[in-house]
Amino acid sequence: METKSRILLIDDEEVVIDSCSQILAGGPYELASASDGTAGLRLVSEFHPDLVFVDLKMPGISGFEVLEKIREMDPTIVMVVITGFATVSSAVEAMKNGAYDFLPKPFTPDEFRMIARRGLDKRRLMLETIALRREKEMLREQFAAIVSHELKAPLGAVQQNLFVLADELSGSLNEDQMKRIERMKTNINDLIQLILTWLRVLSVDVNKIRENFKPTPVATVLSKAVETVQPHAQRKDIELVSSIREPLGHVNGDEGTLVEVVVNVLGNGIKYSRAGGEVVIHTEKTADELMISITDHGVGISREDLPHIFNDFYTGKAERGGEGSSGIGLAIARRIVEAHDGSITVESELGRGSTFVIHLPSLREEANPAPRADLEMAKS
Amino acid sequence: MNTDKKLIIIDDDPDFVGAIRSTLEKAGYQVDAAYNPREGFQALQARHYDLLLLDIMMGRGAEGIALARKIRKDARLREMPVLIITGVREQIAFLFPGQAVHPNFVDVDELVEKPVEPNLLLEKVSALLKAAEEKHAQPQ
Repeated sequence: METKSRILLIDDEEVVIDSCSQILAGGPYELASASDGTAGLRLVSEFHPDLVFVDLKMPGISGFEVLEKIREMDPTIVMVVITGFATVSSAVEAMKNGAYDFLPKPFTPDEFRMIARRGLDKRRLMLETIALRREKEMLREQFAAIVSHELKAPLGAVQQNLFVLADELSGSLNEDQMKRIERMKTNINDLIQLILTWLRVLSVDVNKIRENFKPTPVATVLSKAVETVQPHAQRKDIELVSSIREPLGHVNGDEGTLVEVVVNVLGNGIKYSRAGGEVVIHTEKTADELMISITDHGVGISREDLPHIFNDFYTGKAERGGEGSSGIGLAIARRIVEAHDGSITVESELGRGSTFVIHLPSLREEANPAPRADLEMAKS
Repeated sequence: MNTDKKLIIIDDDPDFVGAIRSTLEKAGYQVDAAYNPREGFQALQARHYDLLLLDIMMGRGAEGIALARKIRKDARLREMPVLIITGVREQIAFLFPGQAVHPNFVDVDELVEKPVEPNLLLEKVSALLKAAEEKHAQPQ
């Protein structure tokens, strides 16, 4: 199933197109060429290239504009710029605009072949990554269905029968037999809880969260989250210290899941703090970003655990003061924050505490009523 | 004993039905069972039941919900207490700890999750029967 890679050349110099065509002739390539940006862009949508060489200096629309348009049409197309005037600065500028590589004129056949091969490798990797991601997503969904029906239902029925048996046999079993039945009940219950935990992870559907996005006041998110965790904090004699700087403004998002994120991180802070300690919520707002940082002075996270704490089911190797954990809270939090085009980071030192920072893109207040309008226009 | 009360379980899992039935019969209830919504609805029309224990995920999906809606629209069955017994929690994304499982999912009287402790089940059943009796005794 050897398919030929498609390469498009956009250059106004006929001699460049001719020589490039000759260099690649006989290889596993299909070639197309255009002598200006407009014709080139038309070919992008008709020819569906894997790799495009774009001359930066052309009559008509500029090479930079061509790069930008191609990226909008299909961000997986690999773009390489050909720069005649061989200035590093324009090549760097082009790379900032999404070009993968640059080819300074004049070039040797070997240089051209090597850059073409590298570009096509990059394209293959990108497509493979996308396919893998899609496959992973599908597996996740299928797995959820399989787990719920094939594992949980029969276990539930077994447990139900065990309840009844224990009840019915309670008079005729000796103490040791009763103990064994109790152990079975406990073990099955643990299994059911584990399955429920898996299902919780699998049911966080990022696309579904996005459907509910609207301008959401950050102050409401924070106060609801604090309200939720306050009883836990009081029970452990931990003070929640707020250093929130008003106004916090809005983010484009889903209030319920954002509250869940903050509850999760705050809850972690409380969980891993020592009695009598404090957990500090601090906010900072720049023109386009809102940061919510949550700091505790608890047990902290070891250096080896740190890179993994946002992974599903990771609970860390270190003992955390006897607190049980399913290891999914932060994984869910990360997935929710990423669905909001944000990120979540952590700094921590074992024995001294941790700081989690939730970064969210903030809405410009004057553009508040129609927050996504400009983005929608840019896409169409 | 509660020998005058007739209950029906509609659930497609015979193992589960067997266990629930045993618990309820031991407490003195008369218990019938149906293993799909269609048979269940036929049984409900053929005989009077004091309470329905209903599963949600049956057949090709949440057929129990469709059946509960049908019952609530039926003039004769409308007043019958319905207790949902389900393992359906995973269907509800973003369940908050402490939040009601599904507030407006469908109009039923009670919901318990599978598996259910026999004592809890008996408590719920007797509370629902008592409430229905009181409602019946003093019609407004």
